[in-house]
Amino acid sequence: MTYRTNRRRRTGAAVRVGAALAALALATSACSGGDDPSGSGDGAEAVDPGANPEPQGEPQQGGSLTVALEGETNGWQPGISAPSAPGFNVMYSIYDPLVIGTGEGSFEPYLAESFEPNEDFTAWTFTLREGVTFHDGSALTADVVAQNVAVLKEPTSNLAGVLSEVASVAAVDPLTVRYDLARPNAAFPALLTTTAGMPFSMENFSALGPEEANAEPVGTGPFVFESWVRDDRLTVTANESYWGTDLGLGPYLDEIVFRPIPDEDSRLQSMLSGDVDAFQTLRESIVGQAQDAAADGEIALHTFLGNNGGTTILNTLAAPLDDVRVRQALAHAADREQLIEVLGGTGITEPRTQFFTEDSPYYSEAVAEAYPAYDPERATELLQEYIDDPERSDGKAAGEPVTVQYNCQPDPSLTELAQAYQAFWSNIGVEVAVNSVDQATHIGNAVGSPASDPAFAGDYLANCWRTSAEGDPFNILKNEFGPVPLQPLNFTNYTSETLDEQLAVLATTTDEEARRAAVEEIGLELAENVPVLWVSSTVAAFGVDPAVQNLSDWQLPGGADGVGLGLFQGGSTMWGQVWLAE
Amino acid sequence: MGGLIAKKLLTLIPVLLAVSLLTYLLLSLLPGDPALLVLGGGAASAEAIAAVRADLGLDQPLPVRYLAWLGDAVQGDLGMSYITRQEVTGAILERLPVTLELMGVSLVLALVVAVPLGVFSAYRSGGRFDRTVTGATFGLLALPNFIFALILIAAFSVGLGLFPATGWSRLSDGLGDNLRAVFLPALALSVSNIAVFTRLLRTDMIATLQEDHVLLARAKGLPTSRILFRHALRPSSFSLLTVAGLQVGTLLSGTVIIETIFALPGVGRLLFDAINSRDLLMVQGVVLLLAVTFVVVNFVVDVLYTFLDPRIRSGAARARA
Repeated sequence: MTYRTNRRRRTGAAVRVGAALAALALATSACSGGDDPSGSGDGAEAVDPGANPEPQGEPQQGGSLTVALEGETNGWQPGISAPSAPGFNVMYSIYDPLVIGTGEGSFEPYLAESFEPNEDFTAWTFTLREGVTFHDGSALTADVVAQNVAVLKEPTSNLAGVLSEVASVAAVDPLTVRYDLARPNAAFPALLTTTAGMPFSMENFSALGPEEANAEPVGTGPFVFESWVRDDRLTVTANESYWGTDLGLGPYLDEIVFRPIPDEDSRLQSMLSGDVDAFQTLRESIVGQAQDAAADGEIALHTFLGNNGGTTILNTLAAPLDDVRVRQALAHAADREQLIEVLGGTGITEPRTQFFTEDSPYYSEAVAEAYPAYDPERATELLQEYIDDPERSDGKAAGEPVTVQYNCQPDPSLTELAQAYQAFWSNIGVEVAVNSVDQATHIGNAVGSPASDPAFAGDYLANCWRTSAEGDPFNILKNEFGPVPLQPLNFTNYTSETLDEQLAVLATTTDEEARRAAVEEIGLELAENVPVLWVSSTVAAFGVDPAVQNLSDWQLPGGADGVGLGLFQGGSTMWGQVWLAE
Repeated sequence: MGGLIAKKLLTLIPVLLAVSLLTYLLLSLLPGDPALLVLGGGAASAEAIAAVRADLGLDQPLPVRYLAWLGDAVQGDLGMSYITRQEVTGAILERLPVTLELMGVSLVLALVVAVPLGVFSAYRSGGRFDRTVTGATFGLLALPNFIFALILIAAFSVGLGLFPATGWSRLSDGLGDNLRAVFLPALALSVSNIAVFTRLLRTDMIATLQEDHVLLARAKGLPTSRILFRHALRPSSFSLLTVAGLQVGTLLSGTVIIETIFALPGVGRLLFDAINSRDLLMVQGVVLLLAVTFVVVNFVVDVLYTFLDPRIRSGAARARA
């Protein structure tokens, strides 16, 4: 496959030097941080998720693919592994989730055959499929799932927090497992769509121990782990006895090589030079260049505009941002259209106002209208009110200017974003200091320390952030706005009675009407109190060789549509259902 | 000679101790808690954090932790990464061949290009060739290696399809594939060295060409190439050698960027990833390795002088006598 592609791409090499020089101009501009604001020229068009290439012809068996991912993952053992979008492409190849989200926003069984709650949503019973085996030949049973959960709930597991609401797990019979929860959760199955719900072989885990199993994973997925050289390549081969084959879940490919290529430009160049057959990106300027390549027929481009979005989180416990007038002033002062232009996303993505986008059943027009519009005059008024307030929260004398530290990672486009906020806020008289902070510190500051009062209050004022909202609204919002000392993921430290009431509704009902109303109430409250400043949705994209089929149209065992690249926020798909056209 | 080497080796010990202590302290001073990173950046209770801190030994005071680490390090055990759960020593050894080959090829490429350029620009100093080379070397010095890397990928991978844009092939996959994979990264890494070496050699060579023994060689009617490469190059190459040794440090830091752009599984990339994920023991291990390499290479350069320059050898002999 790779060879054929190379040969095709390399004919007429001389003609292509001109194109190479053009690519060079783009590459260097991207590198110097000067992302072309229009994306990459005239070809950039707003991403339309419905417009993804449809699979051509019937699925074909065989072939090998090399897939370039954004970055390496620290390993593949649930509980240790901390995958983001690139890593989940590998995880969903080796493992199967018990539950999966559908294109309609509901959650359906995947590796599980069915699940059902008790009356008050404090217990969930899962029935497993019969005859499923792990890659090492051991059987998937209720006992194994229960043992898995015990491993994942160990204090040192990175899933202990996610599974803290699971009080106990019991194997009712060989194929039935029951999760008993500490409190009601009507959306509990949505938690089992990622690592917390990916059964792994206990035989392998016990024989190798956690560290070795982290480097040699054994799941039930469509592909069997073959080898891994960190930062270079991970190879998987087709699972010959996959339980999903008869249900149309593949696998069709013989082999996939996943290669982490961290540099955005060289990842795109690897695709254009034919070194790889598919590449993933979240960088809007690269999506623009990929759109141009797709327009020329060089590649096929799949995109997904999900609920994952660029934001700024504000610490509502830290002065002066503990005062809602200052937060509203900051929101009114920034023009989201221009911020998107800074990120190179103009024409690719649209301004955001809330946790869910237009494509989601939880999107609310009322919230979109309530979110503070760009209005520098109103911003100045609000800020002046605070400045003149003798009781102002930052302890300064009335009339003194307001100071804000804005933290962001040292990424070229994020640095420009921070500078744009600095310009907007300086415009209304706020003194803004921009700090460049490495990723680990950035997250650590937002989480804060258990020793602070209250615990996990966070050590920051304003952080550039990415807020992901794939999954059920309850599971997302209860983390984002739960009680501060108990919920380190409440980065903004914003809580209110309204939120608590509406979260309780979400926890205890599956009625879609009632749940949508509750999410809308929460959205209106957040739009008024602005703990989160929105910019835009992040486009996830996969550019592939035109022969590669079915990235966006994979299905569930029952035939329902999957979520395409939105399997995990930021671009992950079910490689088991991808095939190569003749 | 043996005594000289032993003395040099002894100075290595305090240097390495200082480097390891400094990195350990600096990394420990950074804000944020590694336990939180292990637990996935947030969704963790205070009990879980305490459990992880105990598991990682982070509940011990800093001096105790450093001494324990040092005790293991002396025996070759640099600890286990919090984040990837790999042995640090193993992870470094696995990646070292990639980085060493990259640096070696880069240095050879730089010398292969720079020596003839330097020699001929000195031979015709002020001429058209010299002026062109001078202009080009200043241009190269001004060009950051990551820009040069992207130019090379655009031209030679995407444009001409001669080399892979990214990725590594082991020597065991075949020499041809291996050299194809290393060529562009090594060239990108060598760009500033080519310029520096050329400038340096040119200057020294111009001075050497004025000396009496060269005049004598000319008077004897020896061919120009023999005069340049046999009589003038060796005495002109001392600064080049010193700088080549010192440049190993620059090369090492260059591998962090170059290995990331070309997606090579080397030590530079390991360091980059480790810093990004606050993988303290991994950063500590790699920095220690870099320090050792730097000191050892400069030590080797010192020893090489004695072979290149008989005056140093006889000077040492006289001192002993």
